[in-house]
Amino acid sequence: MANAQRAAVTLLQLNNFIAGLVTSPATQNVWVTAELSDVAVRGGHCYMELLQKNASTGATEAKARGAIWANRFQSIRRKFFEATGQEFASGIKVMVCCSVSMHAVYGLSLVITDVDPSYTMGDLVRRRNEMLARLKADGILELNRQLPLPVPLLRIAVISAEGAAGYGDFLNQLHANPQRLRFTTRLFPAVMQGERVPPTVIAALDEIAADLDSWDCVVIIRGGGATSDLMGFENYDLASHVAQFPLPVVVGIGHERDITILDYVACIRVKTPTAAAEWLLAQGKQCVERLDRLGQAVARAVTERISGCKEQLGLIEGRLPQLPGVAVTRARSRLDRCAMALQSLSAVRISAQKGRLEGIRGALGVHVASIISRRREKLDALRNLIDALSPEATLRRGYSITRCDGVTVTDPAQIPPGAIITTTLAKGTITSKTELK
Amino acid sequence: MSTTNQPAFIPVAELSYSKALAELESIVQRMQSDNLDIDLLAAYTRRATELLTECRRRLVATEEEIKTIIQ
Repeated sequence: MANAQRAAVTLLQLNNFIAGLVTSPATQNVWVTAELSDVAVRGGHCYMELLQKNASTGATEAKARGAIWANRFQSIRRKFFEATGQEFASGIKVMVCCSVSMHAVYGLSLVITDVDPSYTMGDLVRRRNEMLARLKADGILELNRQLPLPVPLLRIAVISAEGAAGYGDFLNQLHANPQRLRFTTRLFPAVMQGERVPPTVIAALDEIAADLDSWDCVVIIRGGGATSDLMGFENYDLASHVAQFPLPVVVGIGHERDITILDYVACIRVKTPTAAAEWLLAQGKQCVERLDRLGQAVARAVTERISGCKEQLGLIEGRLPQLPGVAVTRARSRLDRCAMALQSLSAVRISAQKGRLEGIRGALGVHVASIISRRREKLDALRNLIDALSPEATLRRGYSITRCDGVTVTDPAQIPPGAIITTTLAKGTITSKTELK
Repeated sequence: MSTTNQPAFIPVAELSYSKALAELESIVQRMQSDNLDIDLLAAYTRRATELLTECRRRLVATEEEIKTIIQ
């Protein structure tokens, strides 16, 4: 057949030809944006698939194999990690500087020589902000953060990877505490890295929720070391579960600088499993210290009260023996004062009466003299009258009294003839004998 | 002889510490003023001493008890 005459190239020739075609300045050191998938490190080299997905449907629209050779991988990895806190892992969007390479055996691939972490950062931040906005719109963003912390926090449900160093560190730190706080812990195992993080952590949360009364809080700590990636935690469903969980959730899954969406919704955010244990210990220590302070305050208050009572009684006791004596003395003084007042009052009253009597006596003297004088005058007048009317005065005026046998004669018929009569004159007496008829 | 009625007191054992103390202070106050009848002075002095002794006894007992509790 004509097959033998037809010109053909070998596969190697073709691949080399393709290599010659694709290797041009236009395909070298090109900055490309893509999503990582199937990232794997083998023999120091990092292999991956670079994808472009439809924003609406998620269907793959473009795909290329990528590789970072070992000589560049460590520096790129470090640079990327330092800036983003992320490893090169599936699901991350990256901007990489790559060159198209065609290998006769391995085919077409993009050899990555640099990465721009700020693109990934921007993408992460954008995605996280979208989730936060949604959580807020759903009204659940702050729910777990607003839960009151139970006191004390001693019964800890731990979500972590079994046998992981971080979990061991957490337990060692927690149980070897100098305060001798007795923590109860139980591990609810979950995958703490990769795509299985959300379903397994949510399952663990559900298991804890079924026995809520047994736990004071939930601690989610990352089991792996610093090399694990955190992309698995950037998940709305997981964040929503944590936000709505009825017990306070403590997360310790980040690095020094990094935060995940869980750090926004969990009640307490710490950096590492050890820090989570330290936080719990600090809470316990606070409780113990508070109790100590209260105890001391009680002891102090009681001592002060007793001491105050003693002082109060002492004062009364000191005064009491003198009080009755003082009261008696005071009563005596009052009596004395009364006596003096009485005396003084009597003197005043007597003196007043005396004065009054004196006055009366004076008035009496004057009055008596006046009466006597008036009586005397009256007597004098009477005497004068008597004098004027007396027989002597009548006799002196020439009248005479004739008596017969001692009887005053006022009628001549009283005198018998020949009787002896006596005529009394002012200055003597005449005896006469009446004639006989 | 006095015609003043002697006061009737509640037995100290039936009084709380604060009531006993209040009564004690009231008696002291009355003794310091001239409101207390001399006829009652002896009775009130006796009462005050009784209250004082009881208060002190209770204080010491409480203190001992508290020492035991705190230790």
